[in-house]
Amino acid sequence: MTQMETPSIDSSRIAEISLSSSREEIERREQVFTVEDLGVAYSGNVALAGVTMNVYANTVTAFIGPSGCGKSTYIRCFNRMNDLIVGAAVTGSVRYHASDLYGREVDPVEVRRRVGMVFQKPNPFPKSIFDNVAFGPRVLGWKKGLDERVEQSLRQAALWDEVKDRLSESALGLSGGQQQRLCIARALATEPDVILMDEPASALDPIATGRIEDLMHDLKREYTIVVVTHNMQQAARVADMTAFFSVDMHEDGRGRHGVLVEYDATTKIFTQPADRRTEDYVTGRFG
Amino acid sequence: MSRQWQSRLFVGAMILSLAVSFGTLGWLLATTLIQGLPGISWQLFTAPPSTVPEEAGARPAILATVYLAVALLAMCVPVGVATAIYLEEYAHKERWYNRLLEVNIQNLAAVPAIVYGILGLAFIVRGIGVGRVLFAGALILTLVVLPTVIIASREAIRAVPDSIRQGGLALGATKWQMIWRQVLPASIPGIATGSILALSRAVGETAPLLLIGALQYVAFDPTLFGAFTALPVQIYTWVKLPDPAFQTLAAAAIIVLLVIVIGMNALAIFVRNRYRQRW
Amino acid sequence: MRVEYQQSLDMIEASLQEQGALVLRAVRGAMNALEAQDIELCDEVIAFDDEIDDRYHRMEKSIEELLALQAPVAADLRLVLAVLHNSIHLERIGDHAVTIAKLTKLTAAFEPRHDLVEGLREMADRAEEMVRAALDAFATRDVARARSLVELDELIDRTNRRVVGTVLSMAASPEQQEWGMRMIIVARSLERIGDKAVDIGEQTEFVATGEFHEFSDASH
Repeated sequence: MTQMETPSIDSSRIAEISLSSSREEIERREQVFTVEDLGVAYSGNVALAGVTMNVYANTVTAFIGPSGCGKSTYIRCFNRMNDLIVGAAVTGSVRYHASDLYGREVDPVEVRRRVGMVFQKPNPFPKSIFDNVAFGPRVLGWKKGLDERVEQSLRQAALWDEVKDRLSESALGLSGGQQQRLCIARALATEPDVILMDEPASALDPIATGRIEDLMHDLKREYTIVVVTHNMQQAARVADMTAFFSVDMHEDGRGRHGVLVEYDATTKIFTQPADRRTEDYVTGRFG
Repeated sequence: MSRQWQSRLFVGAMILSLAVSFGTLGWLLATTLIQGLPGISWQLFTAPPSTVPEEAGARPAILATVYLAVALLAMCVPVGVATAIYLEEYAHKERWYNRLLEVNIQNLAAVPAIVYGILGLAFIVRGIGVGRVLFAGALILTLVVLPTVIIASREAIRAVPDSIRQGGLALGATKWQMIWRQVLPASIPGIATGSILALSRAVGETAPLLLIGALQYVAFDPTLFGAFTALPVQIYTWVKLPDPAFQTLAAAAIIVLLVIVIGMNALAIFVRNRYRQRW
Repeated sequence: MRVEYQQSLDMIEASLQEQGALVLRAVRGAMNALEAQDIELCDEVIAFDDEIDDRYHRMEKSIEELLALQAPVAADLRLVLAVLHNSIHLERIGDHAVTIAKLTKLTAAFEPRHDLVEGLREMADRAEEMVRAALDAFATRDVARARSLVELDELIDRTNRRVVGTVLSMAASPEQQEWGMRMIIVARSLERIGDKAVDIGEQTEFVATGEFHEFSDASH
């Protein structure tokens, strides 16, 4: 009589009490951005050099690192906002879904429709809540179904219930956390593919921050999120993949620029980082 | 001297300056009012001037001033705002021609109005051959206040935070869309204030109008391309006449002019306060 | 708020309960093997321990990740630490089940003494009861129930002393003596399982109140 044959619990089902996806699983997903040897210089001063990595679909990818390591500069490459800075030069290649993002025929305006951005300090327009969210669709010429679009975007940003009765009021009357969610709704209204967030919660209190983090979890089901954060605990909580940037001396000894030190599944970065510099940073011994 | 006494002395000096400036202003206003109030009547507004003071009015002059103001607004604001947009949003600040442009505008704002009058006489009245007409007057006054409007508009545009521009562009707006839909609407209060103030200055300009031939005695209603006079000129005319009744009329006309100018300034302040953007 | 985080916490608790269920099966299996002197069953119990160990290691890894990524504090931190400790306790119980199975294998050919086997069965039932109760108390954070485990432990200890007494007073063949000595070790393993259940109970108090107390002192 064999009593031990089939255990009543299928342990393989509960197998990985995996709290975040593994690197292998993520790397099987579609590559949204493929970056090769990217460098950025402002009027000749190199800010970032030699970055090679991929961003995968439906993930939250975090960029962490000390200030001055070029993470904000880097994220701005993905929606060509660096084009707006006089003297900015981008070298290397960035492919967006297999097309060259900086190709000659590429219209930066169209890029920005598909790759939305949320900034550090919430920047709602001095207009009504409705007009804020409707701005994107309007400039794109999407006149039909504006009401539905606005509602859907606000719902996705977890803001609809709080503002549905006051859509015509000024957006500047909202709290900081609400304003930031409004900015997210605004970005969602153009039906993007990717949402870039440059330190989205650094100007917010802990509760508002928590809501933004929960939002990122929800949004990644439909969108790809890239977030820059100076708070590494935040990266640990929300990101599937984490890229750690640091500063390096130039080859000629003059000045410093940012480099990508390590890029891996968040779990790995925070339990067994491969590079000593990463370990020093995440344990807070940096500096 | 102890610090307390220094403070008190300073406060005292300020009060004295205030008293002097307000006092003088007050005295001027008071004497004008006393002299001119008897002359205020419907007739002032409805009757054309006449050699007989009892029948004289300033109607053509008042109308002309109004027409000038409207024409001024129509020409000055679009050109001024467009220039301001170019300088703030499109021009590369390091390029030499743009810097030259900036310096020029600052200088032009300081040029005395009569110089514009001379230029206007030479190039607009005679050169283009428009003649000594209202339109020419409007054109010259436009030139007089254009630098002010440009500067005020630039300030208003510059006051719009860059984060708004970044936000608009990041949503996929073209540069023009961003300017037209975000920057301009947000800077309208500032532009309006600046324009109204410029206008109120122009309304009181006498010298250039005299130079290009505003008539001193006009009995008919003005038209855009006809001979004209303006309120300041009318005042000047009446003041020169010996009859004391005309002095009263002149004072009355001055009151009208002051009301117009102060009214416009009040409007500008109202617009600024009511619609000012708090970023 | 922090939905995924809460889910992770719930998951490790559920996993602990499942680990407990597996361990109880092992103990039950070992006891049944002993009563029936079933060598095949013994081998299965021994092989099954790999799975229990594997479970434990995966639990450890998950907790490492949870601590690194979510930085739990206060009650959450106590919960995570308690789950880790209990996982270790369960893994040790599993090892004891293996010990019993191995000893059963060794003595399978010998003639058992039924009153002794009954005593062991009594101890095993009690130990199982204690482990179940400890896991339930942990799941419901029932400190009173956890404390009551000490009394059940007393019963096991008494039965253990009785078994030892019986063996010592056995006048028997060398085989029977050997069997008796092995059974003493079995009794000792069952008694240790009872102690582990008490340890699990102590963790319940720790999670609920933040304070750790030994439920009974070492002299017992």
